[in-house]
Amino acid sequence: MMTIPKSPSGARILAAAAAVSIAALALTGCGGPGTSSTGSTGAAVTAGSGEGTINVWAVDGQAAENDALKKIISNFESSQSKIKVNLKLFPSDQYTKAVNSAAPGDLPDVLDFDGPTLASFVYNGKMAPLKGSVSDATLSNQTDSIKSQNTVDDAVYGVGMMNAGLALWGNKKLLDAAGVAYPTTPEKAWTADEFTGVLDKLATVVPGGKPLDLSEQYGFAGEWGTCCSAGPVIWSGGGTMLKDNKASGALDSDANVKSLTQFASWKKYTDPNADGLAFTSGRVALSWVGHWTYPTYKALGSDLVSIPLPNFGKGTKTASGTFAWGMGATTKNGAAAGKFLDFLMTDQSVSTYTDANGAPPATKTALAASTLYGPGKQLQLLGDQLSKACGTEDQISDTCVSVTRPVTAGYPVVTDQVGKAEAAIYAGKDAKAALSAAARAIDQNFADNDGYKK
Amino acid sequence: MPARRRSAAGLSGHRLAGPLFASPALLGLAIFLVAPFVLALVLSFYRVQLNSPRPARFVGFEQYTRLFTDPDLAAAFGQALLNNFTFALIVVPVQTVLALALAVLVNRKLRGMVIFRTFIFMPLVFPLALTAVIWRLIYSRGDQGLLNAILGLFSGGSYTGHDWLGDPSTALGSIIVMSIWQSVSFQMIIVLAALQSVPTELYEAASLDRANKWAQFLNVTVPGIRNTLIFVALITTIFSFRLFDQVYLLSRSGSVDRASTETVMTQIINTGFDNNNVGQAAAMTVIFMLIITVIAIIQRAAVRQRGGV
Repeated sequence: MMTIPKSPSGARILAAAAAVSIAALALTGCGGPGTSSTGSTGAAVTAGSGEGTINVWAVDGQAAENDALKKIISNFESSQSKIKVNLKLFPSDQYTKAVNSAAPGDLPDVLDFDGPTLASFVYNGKMAPLKGSVSDATLSNQTDSIKSQNTVDDAVYGVGMMNAGLALWGNKKLLDAAGVAYPTTPEKAWTADEFTGVLDKLATVVPGGKPLDLSEQYGFAGEWGTCCSAGPVIWSGGGTMLKDNKASGALDSDANVKSLTQFASWKKYTDPNADGLAFTSGRVALSWVGHWTYPTYKALGSDLVSIPLPNFGKGTKTASGTFAWGMGATTKNGAAAGKFLDFLMTDQSVSTYTDANGAPPATKTALAASTLYGPGKQLQLLGDQLSKACGTEDQISDTCVSVTRPVTAGYPVVTDQVGKAEAAIYAGKDAKAALSAAARAIDQNFADNDGYKK
Repeated sequence: MPARRRSAAGLSGHRLAGPLFASPALLGLAIFLVAPFVLALVLSFYRVQLNSPRPARFVGFEQYTRLFTDPDLAAAFGQALLNNFTFALIVVPVQTVLALALAVLVNRKLRGMVIFRTFIFMPLVFPLALTAVIWRLIYSRGDQGLLNAILGLFSGGSYTGHDWLGDPSTALGSIIVMSIWQSVSFQMIIVLAALQSVPTELYEAASLDRANKWAQFLNVTVPGIRNTLIFVALITTIFSFRLFDQVYLLSRSGSVDRASTETVMTQIINTGFDNNNVGQAAAMTVIFMLIITVIAIIQRAAVRQRGGV
């Protein structure tokens, strides 16, 4: 929106425009290094008496999620009398900033965090390792995929109630109309070439001739592109984004060039889905998106099927990881915080929470008991994929499915560059050139920051 | 004696009055303009990463040499500058002429003109975030795009859908069109006000001289609102270089090759806040500031020479 300038002097107005943006840069830039140099490990955690009030920070999520969390907290408070919980919710776009700008002493005892931000929080000395505070039973009940996200430099910093997964959602009516048989287990996933053939067949039965939705409305040049679009393509093709903390030789590998070029070749089959209704309105037969669309997609009833993402050579792969819970680096009440985390991870709490938002549970027992993701249930495929965890991208094998995004404090640069490169390739740019440029930008930034090593 | 004392007091009061009255503005300038710029200048000599425990490291002119010698960075920055200049070169003349044409159009005394004026002014009233959603639907590729659907209708089905934002060759053009639609009415209102201040006697005199409408327009209207037109061209130039929201809203949410629409402003935000590379962003800001200053000085000199604003 334009504003009406008070003075016609070009220099002055432009200076002001440029200056205001830089003022923000300057202030945050100065705040960053100054406030966060203390507390490099969890050594500052004190177990405390195991009683009293603990402070909890969480993201202000969907209304149902918030209600579930409050219910779990009131269950916790009524299950024992010594520990009270003081919950503070932050708007989601402010949350990471709030944690980053909090001095170590101001951090809460327990806090929520998004998977890819953990490495950066640990790097900044904001988080405490959980071993010793949280019970071993809780830690061993975490599914491998969430454990991999919550582990930095071999120490576990978080426990998760829920996870996230991707699938190709299929419209059975349209698939049947085209005579397409579809895979239901990760092992039988379509190869990328088979998938192209499937799209050719499906194109004849959908009204607009474009049978595929790749969730373009989220934009590839951002986190969606990296985690959920380019990520699974790269990992499934046998490539990685980083190798030994370097992107050159990994991100711009021939395997990635081949996989992403093939991915981009599906653009001609793809509905841009600008209105977000492509799948539910029956315009497309297949939709490449996450578990979170299930509440909308289940309108298809028994016609809704979940199919693994295409296999680019090294088996189908999906991204996993989402918000999880950890402890502030300098908590004075580690024992009580640990008890609260133990309570959050009980089957009852996990099912209360995941029933509210429809996410797959991240604990082994709750996942097995899930009425949605458990064995024989409608979204079994997603639960199955999550239990076949690869860990981080350097541990990928042919049979594992769920991959954790790169765990590094340099993740903001990685996700920006990978997403940007994917969008450029999808728009028709040469894949090798786009990926090489992204790799050089990532490596330059890592070099400037000594590889984000402690 | 009392009279002299009063005048002495008055004099000293006068001495303070100037700086005192100027101080709020000067303070504002210092806080919001001088200080940030100095900070940007300082930051551009450091390696600073947001959210990093590493202390800022002094690197001299490294950020600047990278900006001009690193092939990737120089190409990206050059492309962003080129996009800015292309945008300005097209938008400034087109938008100014269009604003004038619209103003002349709605300046007629017809019944219901208020309604027309309101409709033309409306795009400016809606928040850009809202209009961007509509324009994404308009530019959407395939048959669902409104623009493609209309073109398909007129071509009798022979036209195949174009990806307006996704195709790098039309992405910037699409943003230019949307931007002009969005903000031309603001310039129109300014021109309209100027049009209404042109004395009607001049038109009467001109028509007595048998000047036709076109001659009247060229010899009465345009000279009468010359200063306003210069002003409009000037602020359009400024807005063109400040271009951010249109690009951010239209191209970030589609699957668009960012390089094709990147402007210096979006690049600075991207470098500083997505890549957290504050030092580099500060260097870009300083260079951009210098370029803008030069443009502004040239423009001011050109205008002043001809006795304008």
